[in-house]
Amino acid sequence: MIRTGAGIPAEAAREAGAGTSVYLHPGHLFASPTPCTVTTILGSCVAVCLWDPLTRAGGMNHFLLAHHPAMDPGSARYGDSATDLLIEAVLRAGGARQRLQAKLFGGACVLGSAAAPGSVHLGLKNVLVARERLAAHDIPVVGEDVEGSRGRKIHFLTQDGSVLVKTL
Amino acid sequence: MTQRKKILLVDDSSTVLMVEQMILRNSPFDILIARDGEAGFETAVKERPDLILMDVMMPRMDGFDALREIRAHEEIKDTPVIMVTTRGEGVNIETGYTAGCNDYVTKPINGSELLSKINNLIGS
Repeated sequence: MIRTGAGIPAEAAREAGAGTSVYLHPGHLFASPTPCTVTTILGSCVAVCLWDPLTRAGGMNHFLLAHHPAMDPGSARYGDSATDLLIEAVLRAGGARQRLQAKLFGGACVLGSAAAPGSVHLGLKNVLVARERLAAHDIPVVGEDVEGSRGRKIHFLTQDGSVLVKTL
Repeated sequence: MTQRKKILLVDDSSTVLMVEQMILRNSPFDILIARDGEAGFETAVKERPDLILMDVMMPRMDGFDALREIRAHEEIKDTPVIMVTTRGEGVNIETGYTAGCNDYVTKPINGSELLSKINNLIGS
């Protein structure tokens, strides 16, 4: 059974119910108690992969901007709310807060010239807010592949918590 | 006086072009328009925009081929390009990155996201 949280696309839930593969669109999140592969493509966006190694409940978000505006507090489009929503969704899917592990991906500055030394580009802002929210929940970041100048295609396998990264 | 930056919108849909122009209406950019990939490439060579918003599916030349032409052209190969894809086109997004896009947005276009990505690439 797929347990859905806020922002989970209906088609993603249908796909997972029928099989094992989910494509996650920007601004959405997905969590599942059963094995599946969640795929997304990231540029400056960031994805948090959250996993419980005991129950193997896992989920992923894909957010575009760091902080939610006042009029849109519950959206998975923004890193602060999307990370909190993902945690809630994985807990509902059978994860235990004290066992959750996170991996971070994306946050590229896809134009080298914009990455002036000391500047905080959009991708880095997204990475920083994810780290901040995970730290606030005492969830360790056990792996990450972030920043850089290239897009990424990632596959999160909730069966074993691994993430395959293809640099684009 | 600093010259205003130029953004080239490449799309065969009048509706999408209208939405993009509405989003950019209050931004300090001059807007150029092309209605297919070939015209987009030609306009890019002629006008040297600071950034291009490129649709994927277009007549005459699609967005991928236009992007490849841009990346192969010595004088405009470094122009930032944001692909505008239809939601659900995961394969297109991957192909866009392979062809050399710098970022992507999905339709329906969210104004704040598009402006953030533009500002991230070329500043406001």
